Amino acid sequence: MLRLDRRLLHNVDWPLLGAAFFIIGLSLVCLWSLNPGRGISGLVWRQLSWVGIGLVGLIIVISVDYRNLVRAAPVLYVLGVGMLLSVFVLGRTVSGARRWIHLGPLTVQPSELFKLIFVVTLAWALTSGRTERLSRAALAGTFVLLGVPFLMVVRQPDLGTALVLVPVLAATLIGIGISLRMLGFISLGVVAAMPLGWLVLKPYQRDRLLVYLDPFRDPLGTAYNVIQAKIAIGSGQLLGKGVGGATQSRLSFLPERHTDFIFAVFAEMWGFLGCLVLIVAYVLLVLRGFEIAASTREPRGRILALGVTTVFAAQILINIGMVTGLLPIVGIPLPLMSYGGSSMVVSLTALGLLLSIRMRQFH
Amino acid sequence: MELKPPPANRREAWGRRVLALAVTTSLAFAVLLGQLWYLQVLEGGRMHELSEKNRIRIRPVAAPRGILFDRNGLALVDNRPAFTLSFIPREMEDRNTVVARLSVLLKIPVGELLEGLEKVPNDSIRPVRVRRGLSLEDVTKVEERKLELPGVIVEVEPQRVYPTSTFAAHLLGYVREVNDEQMKQGRYRRGDMIGQSGLERLLDDYLRGREGGERIEVDAMGRQVQIMRREEPNPGAQVITTVDRRIQEAAEQAMAGRAGAVVVMDPRSGDVLALTSSPAFPLDRLTGNLDRDEWVRLVRDPMTPLMNRALQGQYPPGSVFKIIVTAAGLQEGSLAPMDRVYCNGEFTLGNWTFKDWKKGGHGHMDLRGAIAQSCDVFFYQAGLKVGGDTMARYAHAFGLGAPTGIDLGGERFGLVPFSPSQRSRSKRPWQAGDTVNMSIGQGQLLVTPLQVARMMAAVANGGILWKPRLVQRVEQADGTVAYTASSKMTERVELSPVVWAFLRDALTAVVKEGTGVAARLPGVEIAGKTGTAQTIAKSDSAKGQDHAWFASFAPADDPQVVVVVFVERGGHGGDVAAPVAKQIYEAIFLQKVAQVTIGESG
Repeated sequence: MLRLDRRLLHNVDWPLLGAAFFIIGLSLVCLWSLNPGRGISGLVWRQLSWVGIGLVGLIIVISVDYRNLVRAAPVLYVLGVGMLLSVFVLGRTVSGARRWIHLGPLTVQPSELFKLIFVVTLAWALTSGRTERLSRAALAGTFVLLGVPFLMVVRQPDLGTALVLVPVLAATLIGIGISLRMLGFISLGVVAAMPLGWLVLKPYQRDRLLVYLDPFRDPLGTAYNVIQAKIAIGSGQLLGKGVGGATQSRLSFLPERHTDFIFAVFAEMWGFLGCLVLIVAYVLLVLRGFEIAASTREPRGRILALGVTTVFAAQILINIGMVTGLLPIVGIPLPLMSYGGSSMVVSLTALGLLLSIRMRQFH
Repeated sequence: MELKPPPANRREAWGRRVLALAVTTSLAFAVLLGQLWYLQVLEGGRMHELSEKNRIRIRPVAAPRGILFDRNGLALVDNRPAFTLSFIPREMEDRNTVVARLSVLLKIPVGELLEGLEKVPNDSIRPVRVRRGLSLEDVTKVEERKLELPGVIVEVEPQRVYPTSTFAAHLLGYVREVNDEQMKQGRYRRGDMIGQSGLERLLDDYLRGREGGERIEVDAMGRQVQIMRREEPNPGAQVITTVDRRIQEAAEQAMAGRAGAVVVMDPRSGDVLALTSSPAFPLDRLTGNLDRDEWVRLVRDPMTPLMNRALQGQYPPGSVFKIIVTAAGLQEGSLAPMDRVYCNGEFTLGNWTFKDWKKGGHGHMDLRGAIAQSCDVFFYQAGLKVGGDTMARYAHAFGLGAPTGIDLGGERFGLVPFSPSQRSRSKRPWQAGDTVNMSIGQGQLLVTPLQVARMMAAVANGGILWKPRLVQRVEQADGTVAYTASSKMTERVELSPVVWAFLRDALTAVVKEGTGVAARLPGVEIAGKTGTAQTIAKSDSAKGQDHAWFASFAPADDPQVVVVVFVERGGHGGDVAAPVAKQIYEAIFLQKVAQVTIGESG
């Protein structure tokens, strides 16, 4: 099964891979510069090893026909929900949030992997009907698929991951041609459900949302992070301060500077021009993903490609949006940039899925 | 529900919708770029300025060290705010200039200023404590030149303050900044003040509390703009000791000008009411900044003020040991109260002649009289009757030659040759002369004043050997009790009640009509034993100066307090140590009488 058809290699999407590795390279430089002058720090080595593991995942996904993956969706989904549940039992609490489970020496964040499983399950649910038409039952089914893990992830509490699932579902439904009227109804329903969602949120998550609406509500707590991130980004100005001058980032003004806030570090060091380059790389990656989705004929493949692309796009937009103060802080890593094993491995695996679909496009 | 157009168009429609999504996404990215343009280019200058000004300091808020109280709730130590000169390494742009300026300003050697700095990273935002106990004058100087001294701040920290410089010095111990050796334990942060000796060290974990801190934002002038986060310090726990401050003071006063030790103990519980060693060291001088010369002088002082003589000094017990000989002889049946000996001032054994301390001798003596008059000749013979082995056994039973188990560190064992007849072959064989010497507490015997106090408590209470108790309980700041210690009996000496009664009676006679009359106090019957221990002359000038002992308890019929006085090279026990004990008893009992009277009239 792992034997790779030689023909497939001709169809590797090199621009997509190139953009991804360019971004990973920037991530490593960024992590290194957080601790310059002390050789290559442990952070960089660990991130490199995550990249290695992610590449293994990528190769495995490429070697497998994604259609087999979609067929296995129900099993994957149950496994995924099980993993999310296991966090409540085996979970490790980090700064008030239970998101990680221990697997030997590793800590894994199941919600990261679940994003991918969710996309695969969507592809399965929307294509397994006899007819090619979208029934009301299938539509309701997708919401159940979203709802179960959504509630769990929100309670975990990992609001960020949950919020990524919503645009993924929305984009997928739009892709398969849901009527505008139906979309309107659903949006109304979501707005109506918002007060309900408020009840589910943890106090600190409510605080974050309120602070977003009124930054001066809490200038010392949550808003401090936003203010410091904005100062870091802004002080990079057009050309950036370079590795040595990035005082904001290096001097621990920035919280979570190597994970969720790594963009602020990057922006301070490389300025607007650097940000432009990084964002162009991300746009290239995302547009390549949309291109693959658009040009795939096979229904499962194209829904999968669209979903995976949306996962990337949503995470990138939400992360940079929150670090630059456009969106509330919800705790989402920046794919391929943020330090962290789960995120890196899942991102590379997702990339593998896109490549795999691309390679089998013309079958 | 017909959601999709027929298959022919479907692919096209799918492509269009994906394109729409791609365009939407691209627009969102464009918005991000717009925001970045706004932040970095339009607002960039302002943000840059903000980032330059943006200085965050971490200001540690020291936890006040826990207070030590005596048994009546009087404070033994207290805290007062003191000024500390500190550096914030990251804010010192040109540290050599700053250090040079400061050195001239405050007349502190540059090396001392740099010492602390070298141990922390250059960009640390935690203050490095450079000098504690700054004078108000120096504080003013620093504040006046603040602008020329970037990164130099004056912090206010609570510091120990003592009733007098040397009060209970050995008991309390001193508090100093953690040293390099202690840093290796990994329990402390650089600059922490920790107890280095005595109770301060023993209870350091309780007393220290937990440091709090503030994260403050300051402007370029170092003025506080806002407190961003504050974590309250956790004050240290309060310690209620067994010490009675008044008795401790009286003991120190009585010992003023002499070298030696006093231990006052409650024979009913083993509580240490007072424990003093003199000369004492100045606590306040050791606490703040200690200059090296002062330390060297303390360490090299021939009077060894740093040594706690009460538990680290090992001395021959002298005639105090006769209590052991008597107890052993009576219990084993080798002595009887009616035994009579004629003392002519000398005792001959083979080629050896042993002299009595009193020239010409005491005349006819019975056991009670021999104790009261401390007749050596009587005890030379008594010792031979009892035997070296038995004397040693009883000495051990009374806790001599073994640590008392007091919680203060560094306690010495003393020495009681365990079984004189079974000594190892390498040593000189035990001879009858050794037994004779031992019977008056000379020879190889070595005891600590604390051991003697514990022994006297056992005589007073009928055989209970206590683990001396110093700490009653430790109370956290919120009132919860973190530690309590009840009295602990470690050993029990089993003697016939008749023997206990005889000992008590004979010891009463010592003060009433014998060698200890100098301790006599109207209204309180004191039982005690004097001791004069010959010393090996360390130098010509010290030659012939004997150690003076007075071991006692009172009231004789209902013992409530044991007082052991040891005066190093003081002379005769009865002349030197007994009056000291008397002074202490005065403080204990006259004060009690006063308290009772006040209580009644009120």
